Amino acid sequence: MQDKRNIYTPLRAILTDVIEESPSIKTFVLVPEDKFAFKTGQFIELSVDGVGEAPFTPSSSPLVTEKLEVTVMKTGYVTEYMHMLKPGVFMGIRGPYGRGYPVETFFGKEVLILGGGCGLAPIRSLLYTLESIKDKLLKVILCYGSKTAADCIYKPLFDRLNSTEKFEAYRTVDKADEDWDGSVGVATTLLNMINININNSVAVVCGPPVMMKFGTIRLLEMGYSDDQIYLSMEKNMSCGLGKCGHCMMGEFFVCRDGPVFTYNEIKHNPEIWK
Amino acid sequence: MQYKCITKDIWDKTIEQLLLSYNIFACVENEYGLDYEFIRPADILKISYNKPKPATSLKSFFLPVKENVTSGRVDEKPRIILGIPNCDIEGLGLLDEIYLDLEFNDVFYGKRRENTILIAYDCFGIQEHCHCMSYNIKPYSEDIADLTVNNLNGIIVLRILSAKGEDFVKKIPTMQSLEDNNFYAVIEMERHATEALLRISNAGLPDYKKTGELIIKAKNDMWEKYAAHCVSCGACATICPTCTCFLLIDKKGFVKVKQMDACQYPGFERVAGGEDALFELHNRFRNRYMCKYVWRPEKFSSLACTGCGRCIDACIGKINKNEIFMELEKSN
Repeated sequence: MQDKRNIYTPLRAILTDVIEESPSIKTFVLVPEDKFAFKTGQFIELSVDGVGEAPFTPSSSPLVTEKLEVTVMKTGYVTEYMHMLKPGVFMGIRGPYGRGYPVETFFGKEVLILGGGCGLAPIRSLLYTLESIKDKLLKVILCYGSKTAADCIYKPLFDRLNSTEKFEAYRTVDKADEDWDGSVGVATTLLNMINININNSVAVVCGPPVMMKFGTIRLLEMGYSDDQIYLSMEKNMSCGLGKCGHCMMGEFFVCRDGPVFTYNEIKHNPEIWK
Repeated sequence: MQYKCITKDIWDKTIEQLLLSYNIFACVENEYGLDYEFIRPADILKISYNKPKPATSLKSFFLPVKENVTSGRVDEKPRIILGIPNCDIEGLGLLDEIYLDLEFNDVFYGKRRENTILIAYDCFGIQEHCHCMSYNIKPYSEDIADLTVNNLNGIIVLRILSAKGEDFVKKIPTMQSLEDNNFYAVIEMERHATEALLRISNAGLPDYKKTGELIIKAKNDMWEKYAAHCVSCGACATICPTCTCFLLIDKKGFVKVKQMDACQYPGFERVAGGEDALFELHNRFRNRYMCKYVWRPEKFSSLACTGCGRCIDACIGKINKNEIFMELEKSN
């Protein structure tokens, strides 16, 4: 049971399944020992016992409270250990932390989502949320790019979205192999083929820093205003509590003030794309 | 404000009695200089009053260098910290804002605050790098601490600043109300003398309200020039009363160990995959100034420098932040 008084104590959660999404990305299915709820776009600190913890935005639906899914790319010390874990072990969860996607401000609008690589993880959680409130939305378009077709995660998601009323999903790859007959090019190339009413739209961008940067530039060129673009920022969130200082981005603690910001809120900071 | 007094002899005996129920730390001068030390009965006569300033800041009493923050063990013997300059007291005010915030209250910090009686002192005189007044901080405390103590030629004068301070004084039956107006006059005179010394010593430093603007305007070559002498040792942040950054280290059994950290260390902002917004030394150097003079004041009630000057004392590269500010002011 999580000690409610101690902000540093993790809630234990049993790892019930590990899903291989791509050669370098796995989804960890966790059942927490106590009630655990989050809002889409918020993040958690997930720990491997005795190894370390790292921040991740859950990729599952916030409407499902009995289990939690976290999609993790093998990219550093902690995530390498995570990728070795087998079902049955306990992991630790702290959080949820930060400010997620303000979905209520999307009501009555068209939502464009631009994602790249493992950035589809938080986006999947957002898509589940948007599906649950689709009556209040005009349209949702997902444009997603991965390095290769093999690196694309949640492949069944695209067909499901394309058969869901009001949803459209597009995929591209940076580098095509012989089995790929879809779009080739970075994620932003997909923006040329969509039909969206920019004036009544919001755009959500989540992916690697370079994709976030050029994605934002392209959206601005298309006519999106600074406060129509929502960015999910990635920093070294260590404590999640706005105290440890590792995730400072200018005057903001990304862990408390973000991780979701409008471009308008953070554009004055030269460090945002670093 | 209520004043109480007691003769130094009786005060020393009182401290001896208090040692039975409190851990007492006080300023003691030894061959290495002045610093906070744990007081045993034999040390009572060595306690230094009104002399600026302990080599280390008050911070480590509340934020230890390393601690297990999942142990659940937060009870500590009540303690008294005696003889704290106001630069440290004001620094603690900022730590309170960070660690006692309503949403994420750090129980370890909170318990230590609760368990501690803070007895500040008025600084009679200054040290080489003292510059509290340039940050609008007085060389004597008026709040945050529980009491202040002044040693006026064998008479100990206590000023009560909080309810906790008042309760504490009530438990000392030999404490008398101060009725001799001459003592107030002496205290006022000492304060004015210290303020005059600070004014002279700090001449040329920009007004604290301007520091943020000067830092924002500073060009890259300025940071590169000063960072050339920085060896990323982190001494400035370690000794600073308001630098609070830390790391959480995982141990078996979901144990988290909180360890003080510093943005001057390489890799402070590095993320998995290798991206590092503060990779270059001059960027880390600038980050500390931006944090203290620009970003913290936007989040909290004051800028994150109390003018104690310890970062100047501690720097092995002999970087003097006051020189940086004077250069910025001149070129502005």
